Amino acid sequence: MIAKGSVVLVALAATLVRGGAFTDHPPSSADIVAAADNARNPSQPFRVSLALIEYRNGQPHDATNLAVHSKLDPNTHQYRNIVRYVAPPRDLGKLVLLNASSMWFYDPASKASIRISAQQRLIGQASDGDVLTINLAHDYAARLIGKESVQDADKQARSAWHLDLTASTSDATYSRLETWIEEETYQPIKSKFYSDSGRLLKLAYYRRYETQLGGARPMEIIIVDAVDAHLVTKITYSDFRAEDVKDEWFQREYLPRFTER
Amino acid sequence: MTTLTETAGDERTTASESPVVRFREVGKVYDDEGLRVTAIRSVTFDIPKKRFAMIVGPSGSGKTTLLNLIGCIDTPTSGRLEVCGQDIGTLGDRALTDFRSRSIAFVFQNFNLLPVLTAYENVEYPLLLLGMRASERRDQTMAMLESVGLTDKRDHRPNQLSGGQKQRVAIARALVKKPAVVLADEPTANLDSHTGAEIIALMRQVQEQHAVSFVFSTHDPQLISHADDTFVIRDGELTDRGSQERN
Amino acid sequence: MLFKIAFRNILRNGRRSAMTLLAIAVGSIAVVLFGEFVAFIRAGLETNAVQNVGHLTVFRTGYFDYGAGNPAAFGIEGYENVIRLIKSDPEVGPTLNVVTPTVSLSGIAGNFDIDASKTFLGAGYVPADREQMRRWDEHGVSRHRANEDPALRDDDETIGVVGVGLARVLGLCAPLKIPNCPPRPVTPTPVTVAASADLPSLSDEDIASGNHGDAPRLDLLTATASGAPNVMSLHVARAEPQSARELDENVVIMHFALAQKLLYGRGERQAVGIIVQLHRTEDLARVRARLAALFAAHHLDLEIRDFADREPFYRQAVGMFSAIFLFIALIMGVIVLFTVVNTMGMSVVERTNEIGTARAMGLQRAGVRRLFVLEGTLLGAFGASVGVLLGQVIAVLFNHTGAMWTPPGQAAPSPLEVLTSGMQPLLIGAWLLLIVIATLAAVVPANRAARLKVVDALRHV
Repeated sequence: MIAKGSVVLVALAATLVRGGAFTDHPPSSADIVAAADNARNPSQPFRVSLALIEYRNGQPHDATNLAVHSKLDPNTHQYRNIVRYVAPPRDLGKLVLLNASSMWFYDPASKASIRISAQQRLIGQASDGDVLTINLAHDYAARLIGKESVQDADKQARSAWHLDLTASTSDATYSRLETWIEEETYQPIKSKFYSDSGRLLKLAYYRRYETQLGGARPMEIIIVDAVDAHLVTKITYSDFRAEDVKDEWFQREYLPRFTER
Repeated sequence: MTTLTETAGDERTTASESPVVRFREVGKVYDDEGLRVTAIRSVTFDIPKKRFAMIVGPSGSGKTTLLNLIGCIDTPTSGRLEVCGQDIGTLGDRALTDFRSRSIAFVFQNFNLLPVLTAYENVEYPLLLLGMRASERRDQTMAMLESVGLTDKRDHRPNQLSGGQKQRVAIARALVKKPAVVLADEPTANLDSHTGAEIIALMRQVQEQHAVSFVFSTHDPQLISHADDTFVIRDGELTDRGSQERN
Repeated sequence: MLFKIAFRNILRNGRRSAMTLLAIAVGSIAVVLFGEFVAFIRAGLETNAVQNVGHLTVFRTGYFDYGAGNPAAFGIEGYENVIRLIKSDPEVGPTLNVVTPTVSLSGIAGNFDIDASKTFLGAGYVPADREQMRRWDEHGVSRHRANEDPALRDDDETIGVVGVGLARVLGLCAPLKIPNCPPRPVTPTPVTVAASADLPSLSDEDIASGNHGDAPRLDLLTATASGAPNVMSLHVARAEPQSARELDENVVIMHFALAQKLLYGRGERQAVGIIVQLHRTEDLARVRARLAALFAAHHLDLEIRDFADREPFYRQAVGMFSAIFLFIALIMGVIVLFTVVNTMGMSVVERTNEIGTARAMGLQRAGVRRLFVLEGTLLGAFGASVGVLLGQVIAVLFNHTGAMWTPPGQAAPSPLEVLTSGMQPLLIGAWLLLIVIATLAAVVPANRAARLKVVDALRHV
């Protein structure tokens, strides 16, 4: 249940670029990351719907629909998210609370909330959540490799800045990242996520950019699992909206009342 | 019935010596599976020292009981019994046993030798009970075996000896510790008359040699003819007594 | 003289005495054989445990009770220094056979080629040290293990061993040549949404490469101390059956360095435990006390557990066998008791007349009692001597029969023996106990003999 049960949204590793604001000479890595973060984070609290489909060996295997409510915590500069299951019917009403690094699962049927350990987030939808909630500026130090041609999700060649990022805090989920950001628009095309041992864990593609809530954001993210090579997850966003997200929603004690909204 | 010859009996003891056994209104009653049996009614008599005294009477008359009393393996239920001047009614089992080990010896109808011991060891046994030193024990035992003429049979077990030989060993065993009284209950009953005569002669010999008092209980007329003092018991009462003087 | 009479009386009724001696001897043999069997079991269990987890393990304080849920939080900082400290201590140093660090961890093992994954419990060892530990054999009961191939290698940290159940669940039956594997059931995948053809996939360079010679590969995923996901490849040399099913389905044994990398990731490489194996088990208490003092003196926040703490099965099994042994010894003792009481009772009755004669001659009651009690003691001494000696001979002969069995807590058959060396306490104890029982058994009949009325005894035929 848990492995499938928790996808956390938050702003996407996708960066939200507000129009081409940079000149032609190569930007510094810090500029790019800053732009990515700026673009990534809507300035106001918001909600969004997600449709997740898991594919095994190219065949659709499982589908989940979620509603995510997100708000930036001004003290920690981390996003706090509360995720509600909408479909399939057997999961309707279940909640996942993601605060910075801790994840809690709540089941309205048993009225019990339990903490999901890092161990339990190794595989399944919880691991995808780590990909989606990555906070580049906060947790990583970036180095610009240079300009390259990279293939996007539609197998088109694109010109992109290639950045190499290493974890700068001990809390950072991944030891190292590589990311390719489109040269002109600064929109992320592809990212690679590496474990502490140096092995590739996941590959993420970002596409179908649209302007939503004051910036260009990818409406589709595809996560390819590099350990379980048969598994691909497609995440489709819809219904982006600003919302008055209340702080109390992110209290664990509030979870039972949240489901009755 | 009992006291007519009392004083006469007293007179017959050797003048300067007191009797070895004194019965004063002694009675013995015991319980036989809930039934009270009076073995001895009330007897009063003395047995002189250093003589052959014989208690005679029919079976069941109480002579074995009298012998047991004298032998200090039983105590009277009434009256006073003195053996070697000792009031045995006052003694507890331990003291009585101790007294026996020093002063009383037995010769049995069935010889009663310890079957696992040799003739020598049987004779030696009472000396061990007295805690005598080994060298002394050896001397006394060998002397005793010699005086009964069984030196050459000393390493034989009882089952390797004839009846007469066994009784001789028994006599040696009885005398080896120089007791004051030797009690002999039908000592010749399991012997043929010839052997019996030999045994009687042997007993007389050792009696004179060691100045020991013998008290017999017997039917055997041959034995009775050798009596110095005779006491007749009938139904638990002394009915007659007699004495003979020998040179 | 007392001794002479007692001895000859025993010989008197040869058959009855022989039967009594036989009963005592059989009782002794049973106690000796079963006692040596229990000792063998104990030695085997101890050897097994000490080979696997050494005599003592040093943990960070609190690990033993709480560490299974989060081993990384209870790591030993500077474990190399602690090891050096232990080895260089003049009192402890000479007692040591192996001192080696270990890591325990848990995670998910996957054979993703066939979509199979399973949670696993992992243990990391230094291969050379582990090999030396497995050769420990103070009691000489583990000769059969001497030639086992260790599988783990110092020069290749990716090589490991898994439980047979785990190998089966992860579909490694064929490459590891595991017999008796039923075919895997295939679960149909439900189709809920229309297929999508426009999905990207991994390029060849991104996928971890395949096999190591013939050894099949597993992916091991763990969460590091800081909660980051980590993954490493393990090449499985073989599957080893484990003693308990739960272990068999979960255990992965790997190189210490691999386990460290998995558990600590980019953080400081620590150890979860330091295993200390001694030459002789009898040094355990002393070494434990000394190490505790050493750690306290250096202000180290460490605790020490022994192999019985780490493998509670040891104490439970030993306790059970000891209880059974006591039960058997008790029954044997009762049988000997009744036999001697009966024999002496008959003897007393038969010798009633003799007893009367001796009493008449001046033997005190205590003397009678002493005689019969001594006879009981002599019966006990002869019977126990014969029995204990014979028991030892039978034990030695049995050990040469080459019987085999699979003891509880072990995965494969091993020789079935009884422990014949170093058993002096058992032999002497059994001998003394039976003599005491025979002596006590004679007391009641002896008392009866002593209290016989002389007159009645003499009348007895």
